[in-house]
Amino acid sequence: MYNKLTQEIIDELIKIVGSNNVIYNNFEALEAYSHDEVAEKHYAHMPEAVVKPSSAEEIAQIMKLANKYKIPVTPRGAGSGLSGGAVPVYGGIVLSVEKMNKILEIDKENLVVVVEPGVVTNEINNAVKEYGLFYAGYPMSVETCYIGGNVAENAGGGRAVKYGVTGRYVLGLEVVTPTGDIVHLGGKVMKDVTGYDLIHLMVGSEGTLGIFTKIYLKLMPLPQAKVDLLVLFHDMDTAIKIVPKIMTFGRIIPTSIEFMDDLSFKAACRYLNEKIPFEEAGAMLLIELDGNNKTELEEQYEIIGNLCMENGAIEVYIADNATTSERIWRIRRNIAEAWKQFSPHQSLEDVVVPISEIPTFIKKVREISEKYDIPIPCYGHAGDGNIHATPIKKPELSMEEWHKRLKELLIDLYMIVKELGGTISGEHGIGHKRKDYLPLVLEPQHIEMMRVIKKALDPNLILNPGKII
Amino acid sequence: MRIIVPIKQVPETSNVKMDPVTGTMIREGVENVVNPLDLYAIETAIRLKEKYGGKIIVISMGPEKAVEAIKEAIAMGCDDGILLSDKKFAGSDTFATSYVLAKAIKQTGDFDLVICGERATDGDTGQVGPGIASFLDLPLSTFTSQILSVENGKITVKRLVEEGYEEIEMMLPAVLTVVKEISDPRLPTLRGKLKAKKMEIPIWDAQKIGAEGQKIGLKGSPTRVVKIFTPKVTREGEKVIVKDEKTLHQAIDKIIDYLIEKELI
Repeated sequence: MYNKLTQEIIDELIKIVGSNNVIYNNFEALEAYSHDEVAEKHYAHMPEAVVKPSSAEEIAQIMKLANKYKIPVTPRGAGSGLSGGAVPVYGGIVLSVEKMNKILEIDKENLVVVVEPGVVTNEINNAVKEYGLFYAGYPMSVETCYIGGNVAENAGGGRAVKYGVTGRYVLGLEVVTPTGDIVHLGGKVMKDVTGYDLIHLMVGSEGTLGIFTKIYLKLMPLPQAKVDLLVLFHDMDTAIKIVPKIMTFGRIIPTSIEFMDDLSFKAACRYLNEKIPFEEAGAMLLIELDGNNKTELEEQYEIIGNLCMENGAIEVYIADNATTSERIWRIRRNIAEAWKQFSPHQSLEDVVVPISEIPTFIKKVREISEKYDIPIPCYGHAGDGNIHATPIKKPELSMEEWHKRLKELLIDLYMIVKELGGTISGEHGIGHKRKDYLPLVLEPQHIEMMRVIKKALDPNLILNPGKII
Repeated sequence: MRIIVPIKQVPETSNVKMDPVTGTMIREGVENVVNPLDLYAIETAIRLKEKYGGKIIVISMGPEKAVEAIKEAIAMGCDDGILLSDKKFAGSDTFATSYVLAKAIKQTGDFDLVICGERATDGDTGQVGPGIASFLDLPLSTFTSQILSVENGKITVKRLVEEGYEEIEMMLPAVLTVVKEISDPRLPTLRGKLKAKKMEIPIWDAQKIGAEGQKIGLKGSPTRVVKIFTPKVTREGEKVIVKDEKTLHQAIDKIIDYLIEKELI
């Protein structure tokens, strides 16, 4: 149903973006664009060509060309995605926004920053810091990912409890449509109900409905201080019961509430040679608070710390400086790496359940883990119920057996999530990794609505085909 | 046991940038922390106290905000703190600093051990610990990696030396500077933080410790900073890039050949 690229089409692409910005007939260079951060090789697919445009106009021309010849186009940010969203499943063209990496405007009066999609998310914060501002979207891969990818995936991350996810900060978009038109949605206004909310249709559309060329982001005043609490509990039940109490009794909304089960933190602590007495713990919470002065934060960590101690915590550690804060966070950040020492084959899942169901979910995961004889450490964002349950292939298991078991295991896992009132992806997206499982959690009418929208905007189905639906 | 732990508050240096023109650190917006190597001295002192009982006094010379560093040490488990702060101390080099710390340590009364970090991560000299020992005229073990025993007024320690380890026995009181492998510093607990918060840290000035005006500050400092520059890295090397399993073995062979050629193995 799609056509292959020909030399003639390549020549036309070169005419649009210049020969320096087209990769073709170069296996090694193309290979880098065949995958994202999903480790499993069979999710990768080679593109026929990579193009690196520098403007919305160039992208519009590429899309018109692609429609004319029925060539699939897959937009790509930094390639740090976790659902295969940037993988060119049907080959064709990978459209990399890496050249579009400028911060176009920092508007201090309106607290808005206007950026191109290829800006590394962390760069935005480096640039606005001197004005006492910050961009609150914060995926864990903040130092490598692009803002364009964050918007396409509606990325979440560690600060979502207090600050929400990417979509909350997107005020406007310049988008190239699948048919090659340039359209402007929203802008610097904080309120906008003029017509359908197409901005938030685009946010999280995983590159299937349009290519962002300009992004208007809302900025916030930069908090001046932060403090982290690492809390050890005997079991997950006790740990999770604290989460709503922090907000109701404590009247505090932390920046993050991360949790780790024993499989997760024990692996990370051993890997890091961390000597806090973690062996006796069954669950850990990592709570981060931010604010404008140290005294206020001291009061808050006292309230939360005491609440934890009164409700069965083994120990509360306080990190209010860079040395100790880094020591605490590196446990959370090294879980995946630590398990890679055991086995490089993992399936990083991204399910969401209502917060109170986290302990039940983890108990059920343990049952699944036993049933399939596959370790499944669970960690993630307790403050919003987003759990990175991560099945890991035992080294002695054959790849064939691993894939077979994983497929069945994931169905079991997703069914549990559904029973508990949750869903299968909170922040990584569907891509083609979870596409087959979508009908497990979405009503047929829901999927049909998405299909109709996709068809209306992209009649030739050439923009990032093979994703979501 | 009475143990004194002198500590220093330093700029947090993991993300620090250097000014390429002046060769100095850009301090703007940089957070201050307890010198990371001092955490090992604090931990060593706490473990000795847990074993033998006693009291740990943390002292630090610096501006008033260095009280944060002292409180962090108390939150970890030290008992008392003293801040040495006086305009007259400003500009002290390692010699004058050692003198001030030694004077203050004497002022605290009898003690058994002074435990210092190996060096501060900002000045990087490692001179203050030995300096204190010499002003107090006490035995010294630098680069201490393990405490083997404390008994009958003597301490036996293992210290890291160029060729390996050395075991030495010293009379108490004595001064130790410790290296990382001696212990793993604990994290401050909520209880510790609350205790530290309530505590008043006394501030001692030059007069209180009986320091002579000629021996402190710039006047008491024989060191003069003439020029700061970034040294050129003169070590030369050859890169062997490994792309796959085949080149990995080639690389290993190449390195082994090199080591044999230089008679290193």
